[in-house]
This record gives sequence, C-alpha cells and structure tokens, in this order.
Amino acid sequence: MNIRPIELFLNAEPEEERFMNDPRNRQYTNGEITVFWIPSKCIHATTCFRELIEVFNPGRRPWVNMEGAPSRKIAEVVNKCPTQAIIWKYNKDLSESERLAQREVTREEENPQTLTGPEEEKAKPQQERIKPSNIRIMKDGPIVVEGNFKILGKDGDELKPSIMTSFCRCGNSKNMPYCDGTHRKIGFTDDTL
Amino acid sequence: MTRFKIIAGGPLEITGFFRIADSTGRIIAREEPVFLCRCGESKNKPYCDSSHKRNGFSE
Repeated sequence: MNIRPIELFLNAEPEEERFMNDPRNRQYTNGEITVFWIPSKCIHATTCFRELIEVFNPGRRPWVNMEGAPSRKIAEVVNKCPTQAIIWKYNKDLSESERLAQREVTREEENPQTLTGPEEEKAKPQQERIKPSNIRIMKDGPIVVEGNFKILGKDGDELKPSIMTSFCRCGNSKNMPYCDGTHRKIGFTDDTL
Repeated sequence: MTRFKIIAGGPLEITGFFRIADSTGRIIAREEPVFLCRCGESKNKPYCDSSHKRNGFSE
C-alpha cells in the first residue's frame, strides 16, 4: 500500500496528547491501520460517507466499520477529510499510549449517548437549541440530516438518537430507513427521464 | 426540534423547524410538512408523488 497518512499531528506529541485527553475521541482498527475520529473537528462536510458509506455510516453504531473496505480505500477517503476530523496511521506506527487506548476502546461497548454528547446539548442556551435542522438532498444519494431531531420508525417507535444520520432515497437499502450505499450499486439517479 | 417520521411503505414526513438544501447548498424548501420520496421512483424527486403505492414499495 503506497498511500501515506496526512502529515498532520502524526509525530507531533502535543496534538497526540490532546487526542488522548478528549474522551469523545475514538479510534477504530482493522489490524493493519487505525482511523482516529476527533468529533470536535468535524464540520460535517460529509466527504467520508459520501465516498465510502460502507465504512463511514452515521446511521450505525459504531459509525465506523473498518471491515467495510480495504485499508487502501479507507486511507484514501480519510485523507480527503477537509478538517482532519478523521485521520489514520499504520498500526505499526502507533505510539505506546495509542496502543493502550486501543485495547480500552475494543473492550468498551460504544454508546451513541457518549458520541452525541447529551450533556453538552443540555448545557447550550435555549436559543441555540432551536436552530433549524439542516437537511441535504445528496445528488443520486441519500437524505443527510444534522441538528436537533428525532426519528419515529415505521412502527411509531422512536429510533436511536443522534446528531447526524442519512436516510435511504433509492428504496433498496438493506438497513432501512438508513442509507447503506446501495444507491451506487443499483445506479440510482435523480433524473426522471 | 425536527421530527422525521418513517411512513411504512411510503415517504419520509418531516415536521418542525428545518431547512432543506440540494447538494450545492441552495435552500429548496422550508415549509412544513414535507414528504420526501423513499421508494426511489417518484417523478417529482426529492418529493413523494405516491409512486410507492403503484410500485408496491415495502421494506
């Protein structure tokens, strides 16, 4: 694999410490590479899941599935993140503290509550909480939603809370009502010709 | 708070405080309620046009 990580905080100790110090940060591995997620840097540019929903799927928990694509493809898409909210490293290059953290993450069952930061949400002033949700129709793809919302499933039950998700628009997802990337396989298009 | 309701065999109903934009960021609708196509076959995408009833959409 001749692709290289973005040379951002790799080898830069202070950044690395910051990463380890924020409990919302996550790391995911397939044994060969590790992807680090830093939610505080995420501006929801949606690049990761528009390009590789098989790996990066906000509708799933955990939202990163390292088995969804080969390391090379994952690394390519991670390198496109405009804010480096996701970055990656070869496992052989992990520091001692990262290796230790990795063992903790694999033991811990990832809880969406810790990802959505409900405490933080509650602490916001009222006027911030009534900001509109942003809904984006992706060309030939899903409906991407971010903000303060709830989802009622087809049986009237409330689905898992999150701050971001993507709904299927092609009618063929295997993970309804969420997008699972099937639109690309079937050639779904918005054109009505 | 925005509410998304998955209508069984039908569209996605959106109510509450929200805005909808196309992939370039242009706001295309913000009135409520809005029904977005989920079956993939509407002739009026992204909105529902009841095609799901004709094509027997189910999930």
